Order: sequence, then structure tokens, then C-alpha cells
Amino acid sequence: MAARIDISALSLRFPESAAPAVDSLTVSIPAGTCVGIVGPTGAGKTTLLHCLSGILRKHHPDIVASGNIRIGTESFAGIPEDILFPRVGLVLQDQFVQISGVRDTVFEEILFTLENMGAAGADSDRRVRSVLQSLGIEHLRDRKPTSLSGGETQRVALATILVAQPEVLLLDEPITALDATAQGRLRSILTGLKGQTTVLLSDSQIDFPLSVCDLILVLDHGRAAAFLAPGELPASGQNFSNVGGLDRWLQLSEDLRELSDKGSRVAARILKGLNLS
Amino acid sequence: MTFRIDLSAKFAFVVLLWVCAFTLPWEYQAALCLLVLAGRFAVPSFRPQSERSSAAFSNFLLYSMAVAFFVILLNSILIRGGSTYGTILGFMLHQEGLFFGLKTASRLLLLTYSILVFFISTPLKELIRFLQQKGLSPSFTLILLLTLHFLDHLPARIHQIFLAQQARGAPVDAGIASRSKALLSLLSPLVLSSIVESIDRGTALELRGFLNRPNDANRVAASTAGWNLLTMLLLLISTIILLAAIYRWLLG
Repeated sequence: MAARIDISALSLRFPESAAPAVDSLTVSIPAGTCVGIVGPTGAGKTTLLHCLSGILRKHHPDIVASGNIRIGTESFAGIPEDILFPRVGLVLQDQFVQISGVRDTVFEEILFTLENMGAAGADSDRRVRSVLQSLGIEHLRDRKPTSLSGGETQRVALATILVAQPEVLLLDEPITALDATAQGRLRSILTGLKGQTTVLLSDSQIDFPLSVCDLILVLDHGRAAAFLAPGELPASGQNFSNVGGLDRWLQLSEDLRELSDKGSRVAARILKGLNLS
Repeated sequence: MTFRIDLSAKFAFVVLLWVCAFTLPWEYQAALCLLVLAGRFAVPSFRPQSERSSAAFSNFLLYSMAVAFFVILLNSILIRGGSTYGTILGFMLHQEGLFFGLKTASRLLLLTYSILVFFISTPLKELIRFLQQKGLSPSFTLILLLTLHFLDHLPARIHQIFLAQQARGAPVDAGIASRSKALLSLLSPLVLSSIVESIDRGTALELRGFLNRPNDANRVAASTAGWNLLTMLLLLISTIILLAAIYRWLLG
């Protein structure tokens, strides 16, 4: 069952950094939707995903957090203190590290997740088979998990999380190492998950999220620069098509901010006009 | 039907060899080294589990023999006493140093061979499952898992970084002095990338609930079954040898 996510005035700052990684972020994500989080490197995409998975506090106990997060019926003041698996599943950017290396076949590797959950039993074989089938990787079931291609590993990594039937699925830059064919496969998998799982995927480019997501959250220096449906993007008053796509617009806003910081009045005016100053 | 020694007994065998390495005279240790090496070929449970581990074992064998040779040689030269056995490159070889070298080298070889044969013959998944059955904490298992994974992928990683440095024009194929200098440029990416990957791998396992892994009740039976007769016998022999060594030491 998919869960709704409400993030309210969330701010996160690492002690070693003066600027916040996430700055006063407020968004509501309806259950079962697919949301693309886009923005340049350092925008706070990975931090946000790690925060929602519950791993952030474990790895950065001294992170300064304020605001509120609600996932389904559970509310968290600040950020979750514990890993929320299996309710929330996160697939890391490097899909190869997702493979544990302690199992000989893809089937066993996926089963390993159920063993960790204490859910390995009579039903587990059926659950693993079902995930293999839904991701179109039944033919890989007896293969060695460490001998797969990038695209295959990506799908197996996804399967190791999906077998836990998470309410929320977080994918950190899932297409980084994928070719066009593998991207297409991932696109159809994500389309198939709509309504069943709330999916948040991050990417530094806009093209893939635009093609599959219901909503796009544009992060810029940890702030929500836009949170819109793909169809709404050009009609929002920021005509991204004029600057050749949102990814280039993001780069443009970055450049404008830099120029403005250096004292350029023109850049400051443009930023003000775009409501970004 | 092939007789297979289970992991409990293998562990107990390593314990016995370690006890022997610290208590028995060097002649016995040297004999045990040969026994372990013979076991690697003769006993199915101690055979390498893959071609890669077999190759790693052969390489390690060569390196360890070279190290043992230098340990004996250096001790023979540096520790003076007793009669002399001739000269090498103008250096005198002394009896006391030679025996001390033999003692040190045979202990070193026995310790390393026992561990090496255990690891090359034990699949990682079997080891992890066994440790979990024995009730080892998931955190410790995770650390062990990451370490073994790091060691397993070390040669491939070194090769990769070696090629990358070569492509940048680092003199990795030149003389020993240049190679030594290039080693520094290999070490920092090796250490850094290994740390980053270990963190990511650990995170991925945490995110799959590895640290919250429940104690499976049906493993208790397997756990107790692991303490078979052979294991008990090996542990008993280890205890007797250890007690005898303590008794001998107390008597002076």
C-alpha cells in the first residue's frame, strides 16, 4: 500500500557547513504518485532521500534538523531517527553496492532481504518470483548477482527492495549508469508501480523524470524552486522552453546567482524577475 | 559419499593450529604447516572453493615462503651465538639466529596457513550464515563481510587504479625507484575508494534491514548440531595442549 508524504518546513544543516542542505522545504506528495526530484549537484536531492529513508540520522547524528515529516500515519519531528525499512526502501546511486555478495544467485540475493526481515518462509519463494516477473528478470534468477550488466544490476537492486513491498520507494539517481534501453525498461517498471507505491526518484537531468513522473520537485540550494506536474512547467510563468529545458534553466539560475553575487545588477534583476533572488 | 567437515570443526581446527603455533616446538609447527598444505589438496572441505581462490592461495604460498626465507636469513645474520654455518655475501650465519628464525618463521607460516586454508575453502555466504547461526551480532558480521569483500576485490581494484595511473603517464612500469614513487599515487585512490565503497556497501545492507535481522528460531537446531564430535575433540586437544604448555611454564 502506498503512503502519502507530507514534508513541512524541513531544514537540514550539516554542522561542518554554514549553508543548509535542505532549506524550509514544504511539499505534500499524494500516495501512489511518482515524483522526480531534480536539481544540480549539491541541491540536496540525496540528502532529502537519505532523510526520508531514516539513514541520515544514523550516519550524521549531529545534523541539525527542524520541521516535520509525515509518512503515511507516522509523524516525525525533525527527521526519522531510525531506518524505516521495510516501509521505506532506498536504492542507492551505485547499484553495484546494493548487491550483498553473500548469495550465489539473483533469486537468493532477493530472498536475502526477506531473511533480514524475518519474513523468509513458505510464501517467500512466491514473493521473489512475483518480483522477478514484474521486473522482467526471471531469466536472471539463477545468474550470479555480481556477474550482471549495469542495467541488469539496476533491476536486481530494485528487486531487492521491492520484494519488501515498501510503501515508499526512493531511487537515488537511478539512471546514471543506464543506457537508453535500460532507461526504457526502468521507465515501464516505474509506470507499473504507480498507485501501488509512492516513488521518489532524484536526477540531475530533467528528461527522464519528465517522461515518467507525475510531479517534479525542483531543488535549488536545498529550496523548492518549483513543485509542479510536468505539463504545468511551461505554464507556470517560467518559460523553460525559452532556455532550452529545465536542466539548462537550472544551470542558468546557478550562473545568474554567481554573477549576481559578483555584483552584476542585470543578473540580479533577471533573478528577481524569475522569483529566484 | 564424500566426508565433509562442517564449519564448526573447521573453526576448531584453526583454533588448534593457533594453540600449536604458540606452544609447540618449531619442528612440530613446521610439520603441521606441511600437514595443512597437504590438507588443502587431500581433504575436500579444505580445497579452494573457486579457481580464483586457488590462484590466490598459490601466490600467497610463494610470497609467504619468500618472507619465511628472509626471516630465517636475517635472524641467522643478526642474532649471534653458537656455532657458525658459513657465510652469505660476506655475512656469517649463526646457529642461535638460525633456530630463532626457524621458530619465528614456522610460527608465522602456521598462523597464516591455517587462516588462509580456512578462508579459501569457505564460501562467504556459508561463513556469514554460520556466524549468524552462532549468534554473532549483525554489526560484527557486517564489519567482517565488508572486510572480506574488500580483500576479495583488492587485486581487481589495484589493477584498475594501476591502469588509470598508467594512462595518466605515471611511471608504474619503470624501475624499482619509479615504481615505489608510483606506489604512493596508487595507495591514496585505493584507500579512498575502498573506504567510500565500504561505507556505501554497509549502508546498502543497513537499508535492507541487515542490522535488524531477527534471530531465527529454526537456526537454533542447526547451531547446536554444529557442535559435533569432531569439533569437541579438536577443542579438547587444543585445551590439553594449552594446559600442558602452562604447566610446563609454571614448572620453569
